[in-house]
Amino acid sequence: MQRKLIIIASLLIGSFYSGVVHAQQTTALEPDQNPRYLESQYKYMRGADSLNSLHGTTIQNTYKAYDWYEARLERRRQNREWRHQERMNGYDYSPSWSLYGGYSYPYSNWGWNSGWGGSWGNRWGGHGRGWGGRTSVGIGFGW
Amino acid sequence: MKFNKFIAVAALAVSGMLVASCSRQVTRVSTDETIDISGNWNNSDSRLVAADLTDKILNANWINTHQQEHQGKRPVVIVGFVQNKSHEHIDAETFVKDVESAFIQTQKVRLVQGGKKREELRAEKEDQQTNATVSSMKKFGLENGADYILQGSINSIVDAHKRQKVVYYQVNLELTNIQTNEVVWIGEKKIAKYVKN
Repeated sequence: MQRKLIIIASLLIGSFYSGVVHAQQTTALEPDQNPRYLESQYKYMRGADSLNSLHGTTIQNTYKAYDWYEARLERRRQNREWRHQERMNGYDYSPSWSLYGGYSYPYSNWGWNSGWGGSWGNRWGGHGRGWGGRTSVGIGFGW
Repeated sequence: MKFNKFIAVAALAVSGMLVASCSRQVTRVSTDETIDISGNWNNSDSRLVAADLTDKILNANWINTHQQEHQGKRPVVIVGFVQNKSHEHIDAETFVKDVESAFIQTQKVRLVQGGKKREELRAEKEDQQTNATVSSMKKFGLENGADYILQGSINSIVDAHKRQKVVYYQVNLELTNIQTNEVVWIGEKKIAKYVKN
C-alpha cells in the first residue's frame, strides 16, 4: 500500500515538473533571445527589491582625503580634548606654583610618594618640591 | 547728576554694542549667486553640474534615435542611483532633480517614478483595492516600463600641501538602454577649485 502511494506521488510530481518545463520551453522566444534567459531572471528576482529601493538615491562611498591644514586643526582640537579629559581625571599639565615657593608640574592628586618632603607624583613617578625648597624625587603611581 | 547721566548713556551704548556684536546676521541671497566659504562642494557646484548636464542630455542624439526606432514615441526614463566616491558628503539629488525637472518641462522625455516613491505608490494602489470605489480604483500591472535608466557617479581628487589645496570633482551621468544594456549617452562635468587657507 505504502509503495503504491510513493509511486503515485512520484508520478504526480514528475508530471507537474515536466508540465512546468514544457510551459517554459513553449514560451515564445523573441528573435535571437537566449533560451536560458529564465535562469538569469530567477537569479535577479531575489535581489531586485533591495536594489530597486535605491533608485533615485546617492550611495555615499566617500574616502578621507589627507589635507595638511585640516589635519593640523584636527590635531590641535584633539590635543585640547585630551588635555581637558586629563584635567577632568585629576591631572593638570599646566605649570603651577606650590605653597612653599616650589614649582611643580605635572602632578596628580592621586599620586603616592615615598620621597622625603611629601612631594607629589604622577603615575610615572613624579617630582616636586618638598619642605624648605629642597628638591625631592618620589616614586609615585596612580591610575 | 551730570555724571550719573553720562554713566547711564555709556552703559546703554556699551550694552547696545555688546548685543549688536553677539547677534547673528542672516541675509537672503540669490541662489544664482556664487558664495564660496570653505571651498567644499556647495550649491554653486550643484547648479553648474545641473545646468551643464541638463543641456547635454536634452540636446544629445539619443532622443532622436529612440524616436526613429519607436515610431516617434518619447523615451521613458527611470533614475537609478548615483555613487558618491568623492571625499565629501554630496547628495546628487540636488542636481539630478534639476535634470528630471527639465525632462518634464521640455516634454522631450517621459519620467517614471522609482525607489521608495514607487513603493509608496504601489502601497497606495494596494490600499485602493479594498477602500476606494470600483470606478476610481487603480489597477496593478498598468505601469509604464522604463526604456532607459539614468545612473551616475561623483569622483574627486585632492592635492593639498600646507595651506594650499586643489580639489577636482568629476560628475558623470550615464543613460543605459534597459533592454540591450547599451550605454546611449554619457555626460560629465568637471570642476576644479584652488583653495588657500
